Amino acid sequence: MSNLDLSSGKSATLQRTAQVVEHVRMARDTYRIRLEQPDLARVIRPGQFVMLRLPGRLDPLLGRPFALYDTFLDAQGEPAGIDVVYLVVGKMTGILKDVAVSQSLVVWGPLGHPFPDPAGDQDVALVAGGIGQTPFLAHIRELLGTRGYGGQPVRRRTRRVRLYYGVRDAELAAGVKDFESAGAEVHLASNDGSIGHRGFVTELLESHPAPQHLFGCGPEPMLHALAKVAERMRVPCHVSLETPMACGVGICFSCVTRVKTDDGWDYRRVCVDGPIFESRKLCWE
Amino acid sequence: MDLSITLGRLKLGNPILVASGTFGYAREMEGLVDFAKLGGIVPKTVTQAPRAGNPPPRTVETAAGMLNAIGLDNDGLDHFLKHYLPYLRTLPTAVIGNIAGKTEAEFLAMAEKVGRSTGLAALELNLSCPNVSGGVDFAIDPAVTKRVVAGVRAVCSLPILAKLTPNVTDIVPIAQAAADGGADAVSLVNTFVGMAIDWKRRKPILGNVTGGLSGPAIKPLALRAVWRVARNVKIPIIGIGGISNIDDVMEFLIAGASAVQVGTANFFNPTLSGTLADQLPAALLQLGATRVADIVGTLAG
Repeated sequence: MSNLDLSSGKSATLQRTAQVVEHVRMARDTYRIRLEQPDLARVIRPGQFVMLRLPGRLDPLLGRPFALYDTFLDAQGEPAGIDVVYLVVGKMTGILKDVAVSQSLVVWGPLGHPFPDPAGDQDVALVAGGIGQTPFLAHIRELLGTRGYGGQPVRRRTRRVRLYYGVRDAELAAGVKDFESAGAEVHLASNDGSIGHRGFVTELLESHPAPQHLFGCGPEPMLHALAKVAERMRVPCHVSLETPMACGVGICFSCVTRVKTDDGWDYRRVCVDGPIFESRKLCWE
Repeated sequence: MDLSITLGRLKLGNPILVASGTFGYAREMEGLVDFAKLGGIVPKTVTQAPRAGNPPPRTVETAAGMLNAIGLDNDGLDHFLKHYLPYLRTLPTAVIGNIAGKTEAEFLAMAEKVGRSTGLAALELNLSCPNVSGGVDFAIDPAVTKRVVAGVRAVCSLPILAKLTPNVTDIVPIAQAAADGGADAVSLVNTFVGMAIDWKRRKPILGNVTGGLSGPAIKPLALRAVWRVARNVKIPIIGIGGISNIDDVMEFLIAGASAVQVGTANFFNPTLSGTLADQLPAALLQLGATRVADIVGTLAG
């Protein structure tokens, strides 16, 4: 079931063909693809996502959701397109990695809700696991007021941004320099200790003083652990969920997650009701 | 060029519609589709009581298709009439309600209530959702199909479309039963029941184990169903099944459909339905036709 909220002032969704203008390897099985698409770049905000589809083929048939990594600007400083960072995990991304510059993809977006403003104006912590770092580059720039998105006035929303980023091993760490140059303090963790703290990123977070607001994106067990840390720290926490989607626009009802309601719980569509949810409102398994 | 079509008592501006369960409640598609270009919109199936739907995963991609087992996730008829219909009735195209009852009595009670509301051009009966556990698939039995359609017709003055399942030995007697019950048209076809398996975990992929197959993979099967019913039953047909380009639309019209519904393609090409409406006149002209009716059911040989 759904609570379709259309009073949020969201921009209308666009579907366009977009040319690949850059495609680079960032880390093991991890790539950044740059799509020229000014109409989309002008309206998308951090936390929102797009659907990408390989044109002219029926297998894979469906588009796949990808977070906005960042917009890029033209020589005049105007939004010219978007960057998406992805990990090769299956059929679609396995083909995507071989798409060459000057080829085109079909893209539709912006989809979902952007990150909400943080509580307080001093100290925000972003917590990423696996390929869950991808929504945070644009988010860091929006929080620190170094770039505007969606036609919103540029405004500094917090003094300090920390990024806690956990990976399985050092070779999978993608975008660390981007996050640092955007102004975040980056704290790394890895399962095997090959980079940063050896262990879970949520442990590393909890060994530091509490921020005023937490944002998380990553595998569900990590987000569940983060939700518990947020409870112990008594700070608000928003998480960006990833669920399999067929359409991204709210019409297929595939991507549901259980959300607490006044009388129990109900399924909500991650694409239109999320992808960002308050962690305390989710029914963690 | 005259694109208008007639389905029994229902007149539509053109034959390009969008299928129930693949277009949400239309509002989601604002900005992607110019609704005025469509012949009609069929919003997601409504049941009497709210239904949470099936546990995820609810869909899985298959070769040139997808399986879905959403489970009629919806907020119930009263919520639909109060929260979705006021918006739907403002749209510049025909809106066709779609309902599913658990029992014959529930179908009739819902149809009566829907018939008293304003703003709907017709009512499509989902006699065929494969994903409602414990529910009865009404359209596997000609006698039941005829009774439900006739019952609805007696309590609801809207034109009636009967959406049928292809999961039967022979769809022709079911379509005949819908015609005998007084349906204005039949919508052919709903999804084909299938499944997907993760062999390494020895588990079904869908939370509901089985689901309905849709998308380009089923188009030849749907075309055959339309063609057979068109040859054997005197009732207008709305063709559904894997339509993803203008050639597919033309094939269904030639096979005997008076109109079509775009379904799964709305998921992977959300602007498609409006584009098809734009492309239709040129395709008709290629056959020298100036009206849609000129080509419906004109398969040679």
